[in-house]
Amino acid sequence: MTGAILLRILAGAGALVVAFFALKALYEEWPKSALEDQVTKIMMALLTLGCAIVFTVAIGMAGRI
Amino acid sequence: MATHAISIGDAEYQEVRSHRLLGFLFFLISDTIIFSSFIFSYLYDRSASAVWPPLGIERPGLYLAAVNSIVLFGSGVTMHLAMEAWRHANRSRFAGFMIATIVLGVGFLSGQAYEYTHLHDTWWGSVFGASFFTLTGLHGFHVFIGVIFLITVLLQTRRGVYDQSRYFGLTAATLYWHFVDVIWVALFFLFYVY
Repeated sequence: MTGAILLRILAGAGALVVAFFALKALYEEWPKSALEDQVTKIMMALLTLGCAIVFTVAIGMAGRI
Repeated sequence: MATHAISIGDAEYQEVRSHRLLGFLFFLISDTIIFSSFIFSYLYDRSASAVWPPLGIERPGLYLAAVNSIVLFGSGVTMHLAMEAWRHANRSRFAGFMIATIVLGVGFLSGQAYEYTHLHDTWWGSVFGASFFTLTGLHGFHVFIGVIFLITVLLQTRRGVYDQSRYFGLTAATLYWHFVDVIWVALFFLFYVY
């Protein structure tokens, strides 16, 4: 197994795990209405987007080498 | 001269807290504008160039950056879990997630340092290098400050500075750390994916 494949597996698996917890946090934050909770919702949504970008890189759909 | 904490009632505290929160959010917005300025500058340079990165310039390693990104994004989740643990008065769980966040933050900085030392481009070598090192360096500096912020807050919780109803420093640290995470989403996309 080359280093690049190992890094891709790590990135892909990590992206799925982090995205799961970020979406779970977003779901739990959803009913809250305080200002910091609203900001947290936006941050968690963007964090999930980041995980999606990393996942597409890991599976070879996106990214330039 | 000795200083003493001023004791205020809950209603006054809530008012002061809302002002502090608004001020802190304005700080984050102003920081976003700083990053946006550099990002638009980078995009302008990129659009003005027929070939990107310029000929002879090597792109930084994609997969190492992807793993490093997940390390930072993971720290955002552990920070959120630390905050939730604090809200539920679970101090040991809070300390565990805070330490995990600090370790992941240091891990991200180590990954960035490794990347910097293995790149063939320099800050002054090309427009791409100047943009890359300026933006990722500015972000790395924010992560470094964030790690110090988190260590400070963790030590403050040990000293009993915060309680279950008054913990604005912790809220600010959480928002700052999420901000640092989200800025990296944009930078990762710009430099490694787009």
